[in-house]
Amino acid sequence: MIEQYTITTTPKYNFPYPTTDTTFPQHFKQLALHSLQHVQNHSFQLNQHEIQQDNIDAHALQLKLQPLPLKRAYEETAVAAVDTSNIKIGETSTGTLIAVRGATVYKQKRSYRYTRIGPYIFHITENNKKEVYNTLQKTLANPLQEQTHTATPNLQQMPTRIANLLEKWLQTTLTKTAINTLILFDGSLTGGTPETPIVQMKQILETARKNNNTVMAFSKMTNLRFNGYLITEIPLAHKPPYLIETENLKPKPPFVLFGDVYVARLTSGNYAFRLDVDKQVPQQQQIRAIEKLLGNDHLSQSYPETLRLAHILCTFTANEVIAMKHYIARRYGLKIINRPDMHRLLFGPFGKGEGYS
Amino acid sequence: MKLYKKEGNIIQILCFPNETVEKGDYLLIEDTDAGKALIAQVIDTQFASIPGILEELLRSLPDGGETIQGEDFDPLQIAPHITYIQDASLLICKIRATLENEKLSPTSAWLPSRSQSTITKLPIPTLLKLAKVNGKLPITMGTTKDSSPLTIDASSLDGRLNIVTGKKETGKSHMSKLLMLNLISYKATVVVFDLNGEYQSLGMSSDGKRNAYHDKIHVLTPSHNFKIALKQLNLHVLLEILIHALHLPGTSAREFRRIWQSLKERDMLNLHELGEAIRNWHCNQHVRDALFSRYHALVNSGFFTDNIAEATLLEETLCKTKEQGGVIAVNLRNTSTIDRQIVVEYLLGKLVDLLTGYRLKAVFLFAEEAHLYLRETYWDDIVTRMRHFGIFTTFITNQPDTIRENIYRQADNIFLFNFTNEHDLEVVSRAARVDAETVKSIARDLPPHYCLALGKVVRDFPMVVKVRALDVKTMGETRLFFKDMN
Repeated sequence: MIEQYTITTTPKYNFPYPTTDTTFPQHFKQLALHSLQHVQNHSFQLNQHEIQQDNIDAHALQLKLQPLPLKRAYEETAVAAVDTSNIKIGETSTGTLIAVRGATVYKQKRSYRYTRIGPYIFHITENNKKEVYNTLQKTLANPLQEQTHTATPNLQQMPTRIANLLEKWLQTTLTKTAINTLILFDGSLTGGTPETPIVQMKQILETARKNNNTVMAFSKMTNLRFNGYLITEIPLAHKPPYLIETENLKPKPPFVLFGDVYVARLTSGNYAFRLDVDKQVPQQQQIRAIEKLLGNDHLSQSYPETLRLAHILCTFTANEVIAMKHYIARRYGLKIINRPDMHRLLFGPFGKGEGYS
Repeated sequence: MKLYKKEGNIIQILCFPNETVEKGDYLLIEDTDAGKALIAQVIDTQFASIPGILEELLRSLPDGGETIQGEDFDPLQIAPHITYIQDASLLICKIRATLENEKLSPTSAWLPSRSQSTITKLPIPTLLKLAKVNGKLPITMGTTKDSSPLTIDASSLDGRLNIVTGKKETGKSHMSKLLMLNLISYKATVVVFDLNGEYQSLGMSSDGKRNAYHDKIHVLTPSHNFKIALKQLNLHVLLEILIHALHLPGTSAREFRRIWQSLKERDMLNLHELGEAIRNWHCNQHVRDALFSRYHALVNSGFFTDNIAEATLLEETLCKTKEQGGVIAVNLRNTSTIDRQIVVEYLLGKLVDLLTGYRLKAVFLFAEEAHLYLRETYWDDIVTRMRHFGIFTTFITNQPDTIRENIYRQADNIFLFNFTNEHDLEVVSRAARVDAETVKSIARDLPPHYCLALGKVVRDFPMVVKVRALDVKTMGETRLFFKDMN
């Protein structure tokens, strides 16, 4: 049973009490440690290439070229954001060592506060990947909810998928615990993808609405195009902040859009993002929520600081990667070896390394 | 610790937070397969260049410069590993020697294994033993960084040129006193040009009572208990005084030589007769005036006397110290610049005379702020000619640029106290017995009363030492206006 954050209400702050929901990290930790047990005394290949995965949405659409101007609303509202990060630490003879971490950042008044979970290190092999993924899915998704039967991802997809499970759990927890809050996600509000089952996204948004929260998702990259141009690159002679509405966005099954999609240019400068706002929220309320975001969070380059911090806090630095390698070497006696780079070996100075394509 | 890089005789070692190593420490880099070890000294400590460290620091301060508050659930306890990596340091070390079969050789031509070498801190007593720093005539200078005593051999000062330097109030005079008292305990003759009168009380303990050295400390104050008669003087010594201290022109010096010969032949060498001879001498008026002005300078110095009984103290003292050792402190405290030069010219000339005639064995000369009384030509004389006669000089200064570069080049031992000024460190780093990096890096961080000993006394293993206290009455303290009010 997943516990909830205890909310202590004070006139000023409404931060989640830190001694909450340790059940999740405990499960995660056990699974992480269990997966690492089988890696003892292996040697592993160093690898610092982070697997990136884009959520590509390539449906035709229309844009209302008359922008919706925005005004800052200074009505005091809390802002919260969630993000997760994953990294492939290296390879062993049987699999991959990965690490995931998530962060939730809250902003109330002028203070930011964060909760960071992880890093969790997993040793994923062809043999244990199904077990690891299914166990995590069972643990992290609502156990009462009907399970979506997605195929077990391949080894290369595993870091992103595990990070996604963590992210969805953080999002669920946040929507349950926060009240009257603007909740910011990284990415889109698209369901039906292997990472985001429809049921899960639906439930997250429903819970958020019950607690009077408004969920918004910022995509740093989008594939949506209008007249051949990326929607975020369409120049408009209008002074920010403003939104551009999209129309006729019809995703192909199994994708379902749970948000109304906007192009948001929130500050001056040539920065615009795809912004999804919970579809079930009336449009006037959606716009009001974005205006509150403008009035309650610092926005630089059209991107909210709370979400930026969530991203920064969960991202792995090179120093942390070294520390994790140190931990694995110390705790599990792994001998770190460098497998020869075949590109370098075969092509000398013309071999740009294995990560080069 | 892990061997990281070697460039020339500089070695870089990666050091982790649980290993405590400081500047000045010695490390033993042992390669058991090669059967050899490198002895390296840490000359600088830096943060190891860890990738991602800037991001790490920036991430902790995103909220307008204030640390962002939050909770970290770190179930695998990775955070200690992160700090462990973050706090790793890089030790910049200078290779001092190679140890092979218990023998030291000053080479760094081989490369120890990066993966197999073990690096440990080399205890100073072990190093001293290996380097054979201890000798038959021990002088305990103080304690090293690991609290072990540093004992040098007095013979490593014998026949050597030494420099004691550092900024004000770091302990230079104290160090000089320590060396002097130890030298006289081995019956050495020490002469010190005492510019501030701070060596007069070497024979007194801090409570004002006589100490064990009392009978060996002889204070000579020019014009008071230290005078000379013309009859005791050699013409060339007086001419040195007239030419170098009183700037007598060459033509006038020639006339003076004739006057001197004339008086000597008639056994009339005294101040009165010298004055009369100059007055009556058939020579150019300008020459006469020049000679007269110098004659009056000599008379007014009060350093010259016609009473032979008044002018015997120096030789008597030198005889005494020859037998049982002792310090002759020439008190130049209230002496004018010209008179100071006259006294120094005389004394150096006299010492050379005595040493040439083997009436003295050797003299350890301590010269404080020598640029204030030593003429230009004497610098080279002291390090070359006079050293062969048996004058072994120790220069003491807080202005290292007042000592010529060739003195640093030829210095055998340097006792270096703290300097923060780059220019000063640059000057000292010209010494031949040490590398510039060591001087600049270690001397800058020396606390007061800590000295970096360089040269033969430590067998070229630069050693940081906390100079031990002496039970000697302190003199030469600066007179303070607010002293009573504080």
